[in-house]
Amino acid sequence: MSTQETKERLELLQGTLDLLILRTLIFGSQHGQGIARVIQQTSEEELLVEHGALYPALQRLEERRWISAKWGTSSNNRRARFYSLTAAGRKQLVKETTKWKRLAAAIGKILGPVKEG
Amino acid sequence: MFRRKRKASDFNREIEAHLQHESERLREQGLSKEEARAAARRAFGNVMKAEERFYESGRWLWWDNLRQDVRFGLRMLARNPGFTVTVVLTLALSIGANTAIFSVVDALLLKELPYAHPERIGTIYSRTTGAESYDGRRNVDGEQWELLRDKVPSVVSAVSAFLTSGVNLQTGSQVQYLHAGRVSAHYLDVLAVHPILGRNFSEDEDRPHGPTTAILSYALWRTAFGENPKVLGQAVLLKGEPYTIIGVMPEGATTPLNADLYTALQPSREGEGGGTNFAAIMRLRDGATWQQADVEVNVALARSLHAQRFAKSNPGEQVAYYCVSLQRGETSALRPQVLALMMASGFILLIACANLAGLTLVRMLRRTGEIATRAALGASRWQIQRQLWIENLLLALVGATAGIGVGFIAQRGMLLLLPEHFLPVANVPLDGRVLVFTLFLSLLTSVLSGMLPALTTRKLDLRSSIASHAVIGAGSVRLRQGLIVGEVALTVVLLAAAGLLIRTLVHLETMPPGFNPSGVITAKASVDDVRYHDPADFQKLLNESLAAMREIPGVQNAAVGLTLPYERALIDGVTLSDGKEAGQGVSTDEVYVTASYFDTLQIPVLEGRTFTDGDGPDAQHVVAINQTFARKFFLAANPVGRYLNKNLLIVGIVADTVGSSAGRLTTDAAPLTSEETIYLPAAQVDDARFLSTVHIWFQPSWIVRTAGPVQGLTAQMQRALASVDPNLPFSGFYDMKDLMAGTLATQRIEVALLTAMASLALLLSAVGIFALVANIVVQRTREIGIRMALGSTIQKAMIHIGTPGVGASAVGMVLGLLICGGALRAMRGVIYGVGVYDVLTIVVVMLTLSAVTLLATMVPTLRVARIDPAKTLREE
Repeated sequence: MSTQETKERLELLQGTLDLLILRTLIFGSQHGQGIARVIQQTSEEELLVEHGALYPALQRLEERRWISAKWGTSSNNRRARFYSLTAAGRKQLVKETTKWKRLAAAIGKILGPVKEG
Repeated sequence: MFRRKRKASDFNREIEAHLQHESERLREQGLSKEEARAAARRAFGNVMKAEERFYESGRWLWWDNLRQDVRFGLRMLARNPGFTVTVVLTLALSIGANTAIFSVVDALLLKELPYAHPERIGTIYSRTTGAESYDGRRNVDGEQWELLRDKVPSVVSAVSAFLTSGVNLQTGSQVQYLHAGRVSAHYLDVLAVHPILGRNFSEDEDRPHGPTTAILSYALWRTAFGENPKVLGQAVLLKGEPYTIIGVMPEGATTPLNADLYTALQPSREGEGGGTNFAAIMRLRDGATWQQADVEVNVALARSLHAQRFAKSNPGEQVAYYCVSLQRGETSALRPQVLALMMASGFILLIACANLAGLTLVRMLRRTGEIATRAALGASRWQIQRQLWIENLLLALVGATAGIGVGFIAQRGMLLLLPEHFLPVANVPLDGRVLVFTLFLSLLTSVLSGMLPALTTRKLDLRSSIASHAVIGAGSVRLRQGLIVGEVALTVVLLAAAGLLIRTLVHLETMPPGFNPSGVITAKASVDDVRYHDPADFQKLLNESLAAMREIPGVQNAAVGLTLPYERALIDGVTLSDGKEAGQGVSTDEVYVTASYFDTLQIPVLEGRTFTDGDGPDAQHVVAINQTFARKFFLAANPVGRYLNKNLLIVGIVADTVGSSAGRLTTDAAPLTSEETIYLPAAQVDDARFLSTVHIWFQPSWIVRTAGPVQGLTAQMQRALASVDPNLPFSGFYDMKDLMAGTLATQRIEVALLTAMASLALLLSAVGIFALVANIVVQRTREIGIRMALGSTIQKAMIHIGTPGVGASAVGMVLGLLICGGALRAMRGVIYGVGVYDVLTIVVVMLTLSAVTLLATMVPTLRVARIDPAKTLREE
């Protein structure tokens, strides 16, 4: 645990949480806590996802009909609300991913290669 | 979208599930139960905050806020009953007045006539340009009717008499006096009215001397025939002749004539059809346009003898005929009056808006402290504005509801004022359209009156507002003074307009009638009856019935005349036989009277004599003329002893009496005038065709003069008539005041309505001034205390406080006078016997407003006297 406590994690950029949630759900339906865990693990603990911020984001995505939700039972036999990607959400994910990659590339060009030392 | 799909409890359950999942995961990593729970919570962040954000993202939020604001608004309004009641009353009165007037405007001018495709129904107008210009509805004669019927293929045409005629209908042993509408074939087709029983008149029935048939209105079918479907084909005794009932109109169906029953007009070129006595209506055929119809009508009517004669005697005059929608044709007479009333009620609304703006402004300033506190506690500008607007809207809603109530009462009252059949529409409902109008109006009022104060709160300085006790700024007093200037100016215009109408009515009502109107009772009977077509039979009826009436104890004299003073008279042409205009035809009012007519009405004889029993059918035919006729056609020469129409000997000149100008072509004539009139002895009217035609249009009046009130006079008059003809009912009994009221109905209504509105404007202005001054007193109590402590007298303080109100009102009065200079000229067409710039009216208006201003200023300044300097100074 010590690594987690000491390492200073990156805060999410505005608007990226939605994209990450959509991306996470591409592998199948998942509940909120699962989504948070997947994001953290996949980013190799680099990203800080405040769990409290996750749920309003999920709510927002649900209202935009990019994801749908259903109560179900989790692997450890608990009730949980499972989210899955809708067709519209899939389309949105593709769009946002492209946009994000272009943005990252553009910013990368401007900043140039970082010299060590 | 008012409903959220997901409940807050569901969201909370999800968060709880998350925390459990997370703490289980952490426990698997070796943490204790409590540690895991705490770490899960830490990682989650603020649970409350997440829940709050969920809640705020919901659309319930604004609804909750609204409910809260409304509750708060209601509490604020309840806490300030003086303000609330003033505002609601102002709204109720101004909106009520507008609602009532609009309902009439709607029924008259906006709503379509109750016929299918009303835009395809029209009537004929003509525009004459040249020396004698005229633009208005045009009646047609028999020949023109034939041309319309046969030469204008774009439309289906029909004609009717332009007024109903009084007729007697005998059913069983009962005879009733009814209003019959005489219409041509296709008349009901043009209106698209289809009988529920039977059929419309056929062309055969519409030919002169065709079979006599009748169509019943639904109301008559119910009252006189008990809705018996077997009436079809039955014969009833109408006008003394058997008429076959061929149809019954649907319930609620009406025509422009609005008659109890209908008979075929049977128009021809002779008799009635010799003059322009038919009103034409037409329906556009499928595929045709009004432009086509206009062209065809112009070509057809230009061919008529009537048009050719007119062209010959009026060279240089151009006549153009055109079609106008029946709606406009039927309402054109009332249109200017109704629009003027609408404008007046609009003024009321503006005045009310100004008042409300002033009142709201004060309230807002009084609440500066409260508003500043709310802003300091974190309320956003939008939240504060929303609160204020919600209060405005609440007031508007309450005011609108009260306004609908007031409007309903006002409208009923207004309709009670109107004589029967005054409006050419069947009923004036307060329906959905009117209610929508009212609602719109109240929202408009609330927006207009709320805008100003709402804008002022935007310039709120937090610190100074909380620190000082809201002090009314000089700027806001000036703003309110501006509002009062505006409302007083509008009030001046309304008062002056009402004043001019009152002066007109007084002028008309006090016109010397030319006879003695008191102690006279009159009644009409229909002699459009086959039994009285023979002049000898008619004269026998007159002589015997008058003799019987003179037998009634208390009756001084009795007479019969074709028409009476105050009434519309028959217009006929006569030829002058003497003087330099000999041979010229002139048109004049014409009245046949029994010998006792002048004695009974006490019309002074100025020259020569009136009629005696000696002026019988076989004696020299004589005529009496009135003063106007003598002056107009004989100038200084003495007409007595001269002739009209070659063989009518003028035996006397009598004084002018007032008569109605209705039915005359000159549209700018006063409703009561003294027209040139000739009187014929009834005993010498021996032309049977003339007599029967005239009796279709006019029902003669029996006149009885008594020395004082006579018990059961009307019943005795009816009995006297029945002793000669038991099947001849009187239509009703009227005294001369009734007749005058009937003729001046429009003027009376105008005066009543405009006076009511001007009074309302005056009241609202007074409230506005009162509120301004009262408010200044409250706001400046401390200043007054200081002034008085420093030696000012109460009077000086009162003058100091009252000046802004009086000043604003004075400026408003001057501004109002300036507006009057332009606006009142529009009234030229409706005022008689008084100039547009009438000094008396202006002076009275100014005095009234000054008095009201002083009163409205004085009452609140009296409070100044109760201010105790020591106390007010200590309070701060």
